Amino acid sequence: MAPSRPRGAAGPHRVSTNHRLRILYAAVILIMGIIVLRLFYLQIIRHDHYRQAALSDQLKQYTIAADRGIIYAHQGDNVVPLVLNQKLYTLYADPTLVNNPNASAAKLAAITNGDEGRYSQLLKTRPSRYQVLAKRLSENQKSKILALGLPGVGLQAQDYRVYPQGALAANLLGFVDDSGNGQYGIEQQFNNQLAGKQGMLKAITDVNGVPLAASRDNIQKNPVAGNNFVLTIDTAMEQQVQDILQAQLKKVGSKQGCVVVMDPNTGSIKAMASYPTYDPSKYYQVSDISAFNDLAVSDPIEVGSIMKTLTISTGLDKGVITTNSAYPDPGYVNIDGATIKNVLPIPENPVTIKDVMRDSLNTGAIHVFKLLGGGQYDQQGRDILHDYLVNHFQLGKPTGVEQPGEGAGGIPNPDQGSALNLQYANTSFGQGMTATMLQMASAVSSVVNGGTYYQPHLVEKETGTNGSSDSFDTKIVKRNVVKPSTAAGLRDLMEYVYDSNYAIYSSQLHPGYNVGGKTGTAQVAINGGYSKTDFNATFVGFVGGDKPQYVVAVMVKDPYTFESEGAQAAAPIFGKITNMLINDFNVLPTSH
Amino acid sequence: MTYSSSIAASRRGYVRRNQNSVRFSASARALGPISNTIVLIVLACLVGLLYLTQVTRTNGYGYTINSLQQEQSQLKDKKASLEVEAARLQSLNRVADSHTAKNLVSVAPSGVLNQ
Repeated sequence: MAPSRPRGAAGPHRVSTNHRLRILYAAVILIMGIIVLRLFYLQIIRHDHYRQAALSDQLKQYTIAADRGIIYAHQGDNVVPLVLNQKLYTLYADPTLVNNPNASAAKLAAITNGDEGRYSQLLKTRPSRYQVLAKRLSENQKSKILALGLPGVGLQAQDYRVYPQGALAANLLGFVDDSGNGQYGIEQQFNNQLAGKQGMLKAITDVNGVPLAASRDNIQKNPVAGNNFVLTIDTAMEQQVQDILQAQLKKVGSKQGCVVVMDPNTGSIKAMASYPTYDPSKYYQVSDISAFNDLAVSDPIEVGSIMKTLTISTGLDKGVITTNSAYPDPGYVNIDGATIKNVLPIPENPVTIKDVMRDSLNTGAIHVFKLLGGGQYDQQGRDILHDYLVNHFQLGKPTGVEQPGEGAGGIPNPDQGSALNLQYANTSFGQGMTATMLQMASAVSSVVNGGTYYQPHLVEKETGTNGSSDSFDTKIVKRNVVKPSTAAGLRDLMEYVYDSNYAIYSSQLHPGYNVGGKTGTAQVAINGGYSKTDFNATFVGFVGGDKPQYVVAVMVKDPYTFESEGAQAAAPIFGKITNMLINDFNVLPTSH
Repeated sequence: MTYSSSIAASRRGYVRRNQNSVRFSASARALGPISNTIVLIVLACLVGLLYLTQVTRTNGYGYTINSLQQEQSQLKDKKASLEVEAARLQSLNRVADSHTAKNLVSVAPSGVLNQ
């Protein structure tokens, strides 16, 4: 019998097993150690590197566009939108993914009303990966295109400005370009306020780009919508003024013109039309960029005889004339070697100030200038006329209306230059100086309203998204522009002119209302001289009852008509606008 | 037999030799180091699982939020389109071209009644 092995003693087999186990343990521990070390290296030492690498894949940043502010205008007692926003779609394609370009082009063209041939060509332009087929597609068109399920074709949403009133007031509104920047008009003037502030979303996303809510690194900054603006414009009046202007320009063969209708008691611009004009939703189709200009604001011209209203106001205010003054007028004036005459023959002498206004006598305006100088053409007369034109009637400087690119115009310096007396004689009847129609409307308003110059303005109210509201209060630029007696005197003279000439103006009398006006015809300066064929026609007038309610300034550039252009080209616009204002816009009749 | 000895005799009837008269309950069982480790690992796993559950649930809300935001965005776009359409329907050009407007008759310019 073999001796039994003591209990607990290891045999060769057991020893071998234990040894293997130890080796296995050691291997496991070694591997785990390696893993731990590797993890330590990756997670601790290379922490920043891998964190950045992970975030670069997962952390995405999106820009959240802010809604652009809406522009409103009045329609009677209501406020209606002139400019709104709408999401429209850009149709694009990746030609490398398009299976059947011709068939796809046919289907897409049928929906977008586009050019099938052009689409087909674009869809074949490999290796290009991005081709824009159409822009500004509607939601309905988008749905139809998506329903086609065409490979390689996609749609991208973009906010666009839309104009429910069409081309109404386009020149004063401006437009927004493809980059989202306002150009011209209110859109440019208040671009920052209208644009708002875009928001931002920085978030860890899943593979589809959907933000994961549990991430601590998510940052969301909500966009701030742009402010809304309410304009002083009345849409119905604007539309009619625009129609009247365009019809008359067509009739007299003019290519450019403008009209301003203003409330002389507040400076509010009720209508401001300019031609040529354009459709702001298709601004990119305009070939002549001058169509973007608001001529009433940006185009100072030699205004012609409507300036006599201001020259005579100066004479009345300085007390050198009255509305009944008379003087001998030979029908011409010699100054600094030049002879100045009138268009119409001189009436029977002595000539009265009423005659000067009615027949638009240049010699009469020069007579007032002479009286301002104490009976001679001199420095005193120039200084007084300059002071009134610049400091009282605010000519020669921008009015500050809410439009970009406003023209300042110019009044000759009374102290410097050659033939100064001749220059100021010309200035007295609207030549040798420049002003915009808005400046003239504002200046005449400041006289006929009794002597207060209000800053002309287009914006009535600005409203923020947080409910804050800024009213653009009426701003008085200058009080006591003229004495009340001067204001009454000029009103009487302008009413006399209208009552005497309304038939020439293709207009009519309005019993019970006070209507006054003054024509202007200005030669156009060319190459240091004046053109003998080109004239600009102007008109400024007012409509009201006991006090003027509207002041209207009209400009028609280079009409076909010869001589008396102011009467034949511009005055009919005033006449028709006067009818419109009395019939449709609650002009109060006189109380007596 | 005295009273006290009779008491003692009755007690002896219940007590066996070498046996304590006081019965102690079993002492608290202490877990060994392996058990402790396993428990800790299990707890850690549970906590991790709980965390993962919560993160997953929260991220699930993210999808809900995203979906609702998209819906909100679509509704806003629809509202904007309707506003545009309403404004277009009320525009001056459309009103002027309407059947009713075309049947209107022009009136002579107004005058003023003298009382």
